[in-house]
Amino acid sequence: MNINSSNVGSLKKQTTFSFNYASIRNSLKKLRSLKSFIIYILPISLLLGLVFPEASESLNSLGLSLIQLISFPAIPLVLAAVVLSTHSILTISKSQKSKYNFTRRLFLTLITIVIFVSLFALLLALYQKPGILSPDGKLSIGRYMLDVTDINLSLFTVNDGISDNFKWFKDILPVNIIGDASKNETLKVITGSCLLGWGLSLLSGEKAEPLLTFIRSIYDVALKVLDELLLIAPLVIICLIAGSFATISSEMIVALLNLTICMLLGSIAALGISRLIYKRFTSLRERKNLQGNPADSVFLLGLSTGSSLACYPTIIRSMENLGRNTNQSEVAASLSLLVSSMGNIIYNIIAIIFALNLFEVVLTPYKLVEVLILGIVTGISAAGLTGVSVVPTIGLALTALALPVGPVLVLLLAVDPILTLPRAATTAVLSMAICTICSEKTEDMKTDENNVMLNQEA
Amino acid sequence: MKIKEKLRRVLHASTYIALILIINLVLLVEPNYAVEIEYYQNVLDRGYLKVGIPPYNTPPYYYYDNKTNRMEGIDIDIVRQFAKNIGVELLIDKDSKTYNGLLKRTGNGDFDLTIGKLSTFYKRMQDAHPHQYMTFRHALLANRKVISKLQRQLPNDKFAPILIESDIKIGFIGDSSYGEFANQLFPNAVKIGLKDWESCKTALLNNEVDAIYRDATEVKKIVYEQPNLSLDFVPILFDDKIDHISMYVSAKVNPDLGPMLDFYIREELGVKTDNQIMEEYECFFNKQTSQTCN
Repeated sequence: MNINSSNVGSLKKQTTFSFNYASIRNSLKKLRSLKSFIIYILPISLLLGLVFPEASESLNSLGLSLIQLISFPAIPLVLAAVVLSTHSILTISKSQKSKYNFTRRLFLTLITIVIFVSLFALLLALYQKPGILSPDGKLSIGRYMLDVTDINLSLFTVNDGISDNFKWFKDILPVNIIGDASKNETLKVITGSCLLGWGLSLLSGEKAEPLLTFIRSIYDVALKVLDELLLIAPLVIICLIAGSFATISSEMIVALLNLTICMLLGSIAALGISRLIYKRFTSLRERKNLQGNPADSVFLLGLSTGSSLACYPTIIRSMENLGRNTNQSEVAASLSLLVSSMGNIIYNIIAIIFALNLFEVVLTPYKLVEVLILGIVTGISAAGLTGVSVVPTIGLALTALALPVGPVLVLLLAVDPILTLPRAATTAVLSMAICTICSEKTEDMKTDENNVMLNQEA
Repeated sequence: MKIKEKLRRVLHASTYIALILIINLVLLVEPNYAVEIEYYQNVLDRGYLKVGIPPYNTPPYYYYDNKTNRMEGIDIDIVRQFAKNIGVELLIDKDSKTYNGLLKRTGNGDFDLTIGKLSTFYKRMQDAHPHQYMTFRHALLANRKVISKLQRQLPNDKFAPILIESDIKIGFIGDSSYGEFANQLFPNAVKIGLKDWESCKTALLNNEVDAIYRDATEVKKIVYEQPNLSLDFVPILFDDKIDHISMYVSAKVNPDLGPMLDFYIREELGVKTDNQIMEEYECFFNKQTSQTCN
C-alpha cells in the first residue's frame, strides 16, 4: 500500500516537472521568433552592454561557453548526417525506377544557387564598395594595425626548401574517423563519413542495415540533443551582443562600416530569396501545416547562434511539416550546410573585394572573374569550418591576387564577431531554400493534393 | 739683553704665524681634490668634458631644442650626467662632416668621447674603442605589396632566407653603418645610399625603393607618427640581427676613461633595448600619446 502511494507521489512529481519543463520550453521557443528578437532580446542585450560595460567580458565569455555547449552534438551529427546522406544519394541514384531524379536536381540546384549568390555578392560589393576608406578610417585602421602586423624574422632559421604541394589534400583525408572526430577536425570527419557512406551503399541492404540503424540512432540522439540545447539560443545572443561591447572596437566598426553593411545586406537578401523560394516551390496545401514562413525562424536561429549547423534540426522539421521526403531533405541540408556553405562564399567574395579596394587595385573585368572563382573556391574550401576559422580561408585568394594577407586578416578578424552571425544565418537560410527546391513531396502529400484537386473540380 | 731675546721670540712667532698663513693660502689656492690620474686632472683643469656628436639632428637622441637653446636628447642626457659625475661641464662638438669623419676625429683625440646613436662595427673599431650602451634590432620598413609577392603563403619563421636572397631595392643613409650592414645582409639587393633618413622615407613613399633600412626605433617611429602608413608599409624586425650602439673613446684616452665609462653604463644606465627605449620615451615615438605627454 505504502509502495503504491509513493509511486503515485513520484508520478505526480514527474507530471508536475514535465509540465513545468514543457511550459519553460514553450516560452523559450517563443523567444526564438523575429518579433521577440526585436522587442525583447535586442533591447535587453544593448541595455546590458551599455549599463554594465564592466560585465561585457564575462558576458562574452559566457556566450562563447554556451556556443560551445550548443556545438557539442555537432560532430556526431555531421558524422551521422554525412554517412546517411552519402548512402542515400548513392542508393537513390542507383534506383532507376524513380522518375524524380533527386541527385541531379540537387547538384543542379547547388550549382545554380552558388553561381547566383556569387554574382549577387559581387554586384553588392561593387555597389557598396567595402574597403574604400576615408582619411579618418585609414587612420583608425592604421592605429589598430600598429605592432600587430609587424613581421618578426630570425636570421638563424633555415628555409628547408621543402614545400608539400599536396598538404591541402592530406588535410582533408581522414586518418581515423573516431580520432578525427575527437580532435574536432570537421573536414576529415566529412571525408571519412563520405567514404563510410559509399562503403555502406556498396553492401547489400541486409548487411548494411545494422550499421545504418546504429548511425541513424546516433543521428536521432544528436539531433534531439541539439534541438533541446537550442532552447538557450536567446540567452546566447543576449550574452554575445552585450559582450561585444568588450570585444569589438567601435572605432574599427565605424572604419569598416561598409564591409559590415555589405555582409548584413547580403544576409537580408538571402532571407528574401529563401522566402521567395519557399512560396514559389511549395503549394498552399503544404504551407497549411506551418505557421508563418520557416525561413524566418531558421534565419533568426542562425543569427542568434552564429552556427549554421545549429539550424539543421529546424530545417529538417520544417521539411517534415511541409510533407517532404525526409531522406532527401537530410541529404540536401547536410550537403548545403557543410560543404557548399553559401554564407562563406558570399562572405569571401565581399572580403576579397574589400581587400582589393583597401590596396587600391583597379577592378578590371578579368580581375572580377578571378574574384568570383577564388571566392567560390575558398568559400567551398571552408567546408566544415565555423566562426573565425572561416576567415583565414581567403588567404589563398589574397596570395593569388598578390595582396598582403596579414593586414587583411587582422582587419577581418577585428569585425568577425559581428560578421560571423549573418554569415551563419545566410548559409542556413539558403540551405533551407535548397531543401525546398530539391526535396520531393511524400506520397501522402501527393495523394492529399490530388484529392483536394478532385474535390475542387467536382 | 732681555729686550733682544723678546724681540727674537716675537720674530720667531711671527715667522711661524706667517708660515702657517702661507701654508693655508697655498692650500686654499691648490684645492684638496687633486687627482692622481693625469687625464682626469686635465679634464678637471679645463673644467669641461668635450663630446663629439654627428652633424645631424636625430630626435629623440640628439637635437637642437629651440625652447632651451641647447642640445637635448637621450644621448645628450647620458653624457651630461657623466660629465656631472666627473664634476665638470659638458661641451658639445657638432662640427664633423659625416659619421665616419666623426669617428676619425675621435681617434685623433679631438674629443674625450663621442656619442650619437653610433653603431659598432669593425671598421669603426679601428679608429676608436666602443663602449656599448644600447642594443637595437635591425629593421626594414617595406612596401607590403612587394613583401607579399615574395612571401606568398610562407610563414614568418621561414621567410628570412627568401628576403635576404631577394633583389629588392633597399634605401639607407649613405656613409652610415647601415650601408655596411646592407652589403653584408642583402648581397643581391639593389642598395641605394641616400642623403639622410628623411630622403629615405620620401624615396619609399614615392616607390623609388622597396624598403628602407635602419634600426627598429627609427623604422617604428615612422609608422607611429603616421599610423595610416601601416596599411601600405610593414616594419620587418630582425630579432637576432642587433645594432650595438656605442660611445667611442680614442685609444689614448681609453685606458683612463674606459673603466669609469663602463662603470657608469653598467651601474647607472644599463644596456637598453629598442623596446625599452620606445617605452621609456613613448612621447617621442608615439604621436598618438604625444598630446597627453606634455
